Amino acid sequence: MTQGSRLYFAVAVLMCAFVTINGVVLNDLLERASQLSDKLHSLSTSLTNDLDSHFPPVGRAMMPRPSMCHTSSLQIPNDKDQALKVPEDELLSLARSLLLAWSDPLALLSSEASSLAHPEHNTINSKTKELQDNINSLEAGLEHVFNKMGSTSDNLSSLPFYINSLGQDKTSQLVNFHFLLSCFRRDSHKIDSFLKVLRCRAAKKRPEMC
Amino acid sequence: MRNSGVVLILTFIAKLISQAAGVSAPDKPRLTSCRSPEKETFTCWWEPGDDGGLPTTYALYYRLENSETVYECPDYRTAGENSCFFNKNDTSLWINYNITVVATNALGKNISDPVEVDVAYIVQPNTPENVTAVVVDDQGPFVRVSWEKPRTADTRSGWITLLYQLRVKQEKDKEWEEYDAGMQKYYNVFSLHPDKEFMVQVRCKPDHGFWSEWTQPTYVKMPDYIPRERSLWIIITIFSIFIILILTWTLNVKRNSVKLCLLPPVPGPKIKGFDKQLLKSGKSEEVFSSLVIQGFPPTIGYDDLLVEYLEVYDNEEQELVLDSKDLSEVCMKSKSLSDCDSGRGSCDSRTLLLEKCMEGREGSGSDQHQYSQHGETSCTSTESSECQGLEPGSPESSDGRVKTWPVVFSSPQPHHHYQVEAVKPVYHSVPEILNRSSPHAMPTNYHQLHHQDIPQQEGRFSKPACRHSQSYNQFNLDGLDTPAPGVSPSRSLEYVEVQRVNPENMLLLRPLSDPNREPEGSDYAGEDYSKVKEVTSNNILLLQRDTYHQCVDDYSQDLDSQAGQCTTQQPPHPCKPVIYQSNSGMPQEGMRVMGNGYVDSTVLMPSY
Repeated sequence: MTQGSRLYFAVAVLMCAFVTINGVVLNDLLERASQLSDKLHSLSTSLTNDLDSHFPPVGRAMMPRPSMCHTSSLQIPNDKDQALKVPEDELLSLARSLLLAWSDPLALLSSEASSLAHPEHNTINSKTKELQDNINSLEAGLEHVFNKMGSTSDNLSSLPFYINSLGQDKTSQLVNFHFLLSCFRRDSHKIDSFLKVLRCRAAKKRPEMC
Repeated sequence: MRNSGVVLILTFIAKLISQAAGVSAPDKPRLTSCRSPEKETFTCWWEPGDDGGLPTTYALYYRLENSETVYECPDYRTAGENSCFFNKNDTSLWINYNITVVATNALGKNISDPVEVDVAYIVQPNTPENVTAVVVDDQGPFVRVSWEKPRTADTRSGWITLLYQLRVKQEKDKEWEEYDAGMQKYYNVFSLHPDKEFMVQVRCKPDHGFWSEWTQPTYVKMPDYIPRERSLWIIITIFSIFIILILTWTLNVKRNSVKLCLLPPVPGPKIKGFDKQLLKSGKSEEVFSSLVIQGFPPTIGYDDLLVEYLEVYDNEEQELVLDSKDLSEVCMKSKSLSDCDSGRGSCDSRTLLLEKCMEGREGSGSDQHQYSQHGETSCTSTESSECQGLEPGSPESSDGRVKTWPVVFSSPQPHHHYQVEAVKPVYHSVPEILNRSSPHAMPTNYHQLHHQDIPQQEGRFSKPACRHSQSYNQFNLDGLDTPAPGVSPSRSLEYVEVQRVNPENMLLLRPLSDPNREPEGSDYAGEDYSKVKEVTSNNILLLQRDTYHQCVDDYSQDLDSQAGQCTTQQPPHPCKPVIYQSNSGMPQEGMRVMGNGYVDSTVLMPSY
């Protein structure tokens, strides 16, 4: 009897430790992920500013509507009340879905950035490359978070991107580049917000940060 | 048709009338900004244009990006004049709002330019609240500024993340000192001047958004204190100790070179050409040979001064006691000309004769001439005083002096080359020159000197006086052999060593070939050496030779006045060896016997 109780006790202790450790690890993971997403959004914002510095006025007229972003079909919470009601795993999957949806478009942007008809296309090119790297890192990190959270279902939405080229002429290329970038900027903000909500939810031990 | 035309005309007339009256439709309003303080609501403000003189109403209309429905602003009052407040229900994130403002008055309306707004990008929080600045005296007085988040911002759920910033300055300063506090709600400000009043302000910003306004300044007064700055002194002390340790260790490592630098070794005396190792090995002759300058001092003409004189050294009193006046002159001259060293062979520092020479001078009248180089001790017969010194009656026949004699002979080595006939030459000093008309007794009785030694000896010693004496003393007495009747040629030349002076003032010579022999008495090893028989009144050492005593006797009688040789077999008298030389025997000019008995050895001198 004593042996059995002892064994039970040991297992309980181990599980507690595991959970505790996991919790700590999860917290740190989310902290790191939110840092990455923050950087992602900052980069996209600066890119947009760079583009706007020498954007032809006619291009603004030609700009597609934001609802034409390929990720607009994804159902996301639009305000705080809605967002706070979403469970963590759903929030995570939303973030991951969005992130996943932008791998290909960013690759396209990266390839087209060098030939962009813009005076600051070098800066734009380097920043786009940096964006790509960050997205890959965040993707990997969120996968870890997902594994750590131990969700059973992995319901990632598929948001396909079928555009292969930004346009044949310089103006349309520039306009499309700008449009795609604006879509990404918004989506990166979404991801950042969701992850920060998740972070504060997990950081019960550090209330001062949230 | 007519109606429309009438309407047109009427409208035109109305405009003209309104223009004349100063009223018009309102100008286009302009949306200035839209802001969301907490990412949940937002407010838009517009700027009305000219109202046209008539009361104008403004309406804001908006449209969401994915629908065509136009909504009007729900709240014009909350945010104040010319504003539109969108509450939570009307606010959606990540959606573009197309907002326009319409100004309407009696005469018309005007629509502003549309503005696209995404609420996510227009976040500007309210100012932080409850800013407090407290002076804390722990570890040096500093100011701890603390505040609270703006009331409306929900940072707890993570919906909004705020970063804080504060700034401090004195009232009179122009520039603010800014500090970033991150997400904290407190900050410690150090290094504020004591006894001064400071203003503190705080503001915040969302992670992606605009900075809030600064709070109202909070005043704080620093107390008057003397800064202890203990930590600074501690740091300075530790640093200097560290430096000292490093220096000490470096000095220790390099102590040899430091010692060399601070206390340079005193250079020892260096004599050019002086080889210490050679000196240590004992070959003193070679050591000093390098010091000797060839040809110095100049020998030319020097010979003239000394060559004529036999240098005789005796004690002071007896020096002047000479047979002839010339002797005394010579003595004086030689004395004056030379010092202890000159002409007496004491220029050979190797030999003890040098030292003994000094003794000899001080000593009483022992008739010792010390020609160190030649190993000759000669009591010049010309100087009878010397010989007198050796007479029994002489006060000091110092044994010590005599003992110096052997030294003269002690180095057989330099005499190697003396062996002309493979026989050791016998050195003896010639105090005076005998009248060599009858040399018959000479060869056997007298030691022969090889003047061949002269050049070699000369080469070795720098003092011509020595050379003089050398040459002087070295006669080749070979030639003496022939005239001596019955006298076998003194073929053998041996070294004679003065062994001692016996109490009767007898100079005991013994040949070097047999150092153990006691020449005293009658057991001669051979017939080639002579004993000192007696010292005549002239301070002449009479040599004695066993085998030829008869002849010697004869001879001695003849020459007693001039030179003394003791060649009898009588108990040896301390006689100085006498060099006799016949003119015929000399390979060179030979020695000229002067009238006063001195041997003129100038002829003997090889030309230098």
